[in-house]
Amino acid sequence: MIISNYMKAEHRDCDTAFAGAEEAVALGEWSVAEQRFIDFSNDTLTHFKREEDELFPAFEAQTGSSEGPTQVMRFEHEQVRGLIGKMAEAIESQDRDAYLSLAESMMILLQQHNMKEEQMLYAMCDRVLPPELKESTLEKMKATTL
Amino acid sequence: MFQQNGLSLDQAPPIGVVFRLFFVAALFGILSGVLILFYGVSIFDSSTLGAVTLTHTLTLGVMASFMLGALFQMLPVIAGVVLTSPIKRSLLVQIPFVIGTISLLLAFNLSYRILYIVASALLTISLLSAVSMMLYRLLKVSNHSASSRGMVLALISFGITIALAIYLTTSLGGFASGEYYLQIKTLHYHFGLFGWITLLIFSISFQVIEMFYVTPPYPTVVSRYLVPSIFGLLIVGMPLELLYPQISIVVATLFSLLMISFAILTLYRLSQRKRPITDATMWFWRLGLSSLVVSMALALLTLYLSNAFLPVISTIFFVSFALSVVFAMLYKIVPFLTWFHLNAQGYYKAPMMHEVIHPKTAKKHFWIHLSMVISLLLSLVNENFIYLAGVITMISFGWVAYQIAYAHLLYKKIEKSGEKFDMSSFG
Repeated sequence: MIISNYMKAEHRDCDTAFAGAEEAVALGEWSVAEQRFIDFSNDTLTHFKREEDELFPAFEAQTGSSEGPTQVMRFEHEQVRGLIGKMAEAIESQDRDAYLSLAESMMILLQQHNMKEEQMLYAMCDRVLPPELKESTLEKMKATTL
Repeated sequence: MFQQNGLSLDQAPPIGVVFRLFFVAALFGILSGVLILFYGVSIFDSSTLGAVTLTHTLTLGVMASFMLGALFQMLPVIAGVVLTSPIKRSLLVQIPFVIGTISLLLAFNLSYRILYIVASALLTISLLSAVSMMLYRLLKVSNHSASSRGMVLALISFGITIALAIYLTTSLGGFASGEYYLQIKTLHYHFGLFGWITLLIFSISFQVIEMFYVTPPYPTVVSRYLVPSIFGLLIVGMPLELLYPQISIVVATLFSLLMISFAILTLYRLSQRKRPITDATMWFWRLGLSSLVVSMALALLTLYLSNAFLPVISTIFFVSFALSVVFAMLYKIVPFLTWFHLNAQGYYKAPMMHEVIHPKTAKKHFWIHLSMVISLLLSLVNENFIYLAGVITMISFGWVAYQIAYAHLLYKKIEKSGEKFDMSSFG
């Protein structure tokens, strides 16, 4: 379960960063909010890159399918990227209500997405990828940066 | 959409499926307000027609509709379960379900045999087919979580509740001898309230509390063993206590303590949440879980103390528990689905969640809901408050019906505007 464990931990780290940014916005501490939001989006986008550049191709090569679940995950990543852009605008214009509203959508979208990955995709990866390939994919993911 | 090797990562079900079930639930909620006005304080005596009618309006009409709607929404996400042709399936369930529920309510009051037959047939067909379809899909899931495992047990409990109900209605309709009627009725009530409703709420909590409010996870011993333990008590303990009444005190005490522990633990987890916002859904969860603690503590007390009011107050708090949690879920699901579907289809003007239902609107409903609970409690002291309780119940569910209708109209309006990105590149 090395893939599941590593990726799940990243999800939780992103959640914590997200909550930190939201707290700062709620308190009206905009400069802190901006820094925390940048941390959250960097963490999230790096995580996506790890999946899209390393994990998904490995899974697709192993299962011989690039049209299935990984495509849905990529589509959802695009939705999250879109929301990150809108949230950044809300921070820039210091629009508390807009940020909190977008944050609500983001949270549910991300959690639904995470649940699907954790319940299904990561578990599948841990099952179908041979041990050496799993190790090397994990190492490559760890080395991936934005 | 996408299915391979039993792995399915489909998007949420069509918005109409969930909204229609929620809307019907709200309409039955308004009806329960009317029934409170009609039957008055007789609803507090469980042997009366008023109590039986109101109980089934709330449990079948309101709770079952809401919970089936929530399951249609959550199964694809939590358990990777794809329900093929959900619109058709949900209508096949919903139409006989609504007619069956109304027939049952009328059957209680008019005692026509034909109504019992219609109600039994329609409710059995609709609910057992929904339950078996969901169970079948859930059992095929290879990688279970605490939530999906709990949902299986909740759905089995619902199936048992329905099976027991068939015996009861056929007895009432004069088609069965009615042997052990009271014992079966007690089991029916336990499996319905504590198996189906409570276990489903607990199972959903394992997922939504941790993820949506960013709390520390539940201890493994709780997420893994709590729901099966409660189910075990229901399936073994409750029938045993009907045969050996002397063990009932042990079973009931264990049962109440497990429920109380879960509620207190969840309240504690919510207090540890990393998300700072205290919105209406948080208050609904707090009220719901606190109500469960009070309800079960009073139920525990009735084991040692004979008092006519205690079971009634315990029941009112149980209703508060179930409805509060349902509202907490509703205020997340309705705005999210509206935004999600429009956004996923690429509409520029997809409304943000706060534009669908503003947290302040939800908060107002929280106060209305709380007033309903308080007025029900006050009517135990002064009977006149029951009329206030009836009116507030109507307002509360009318409010919910309006929010759902508003969200759906907003959705349709934006869909009609047709202004969207080209999403074809995503297939």
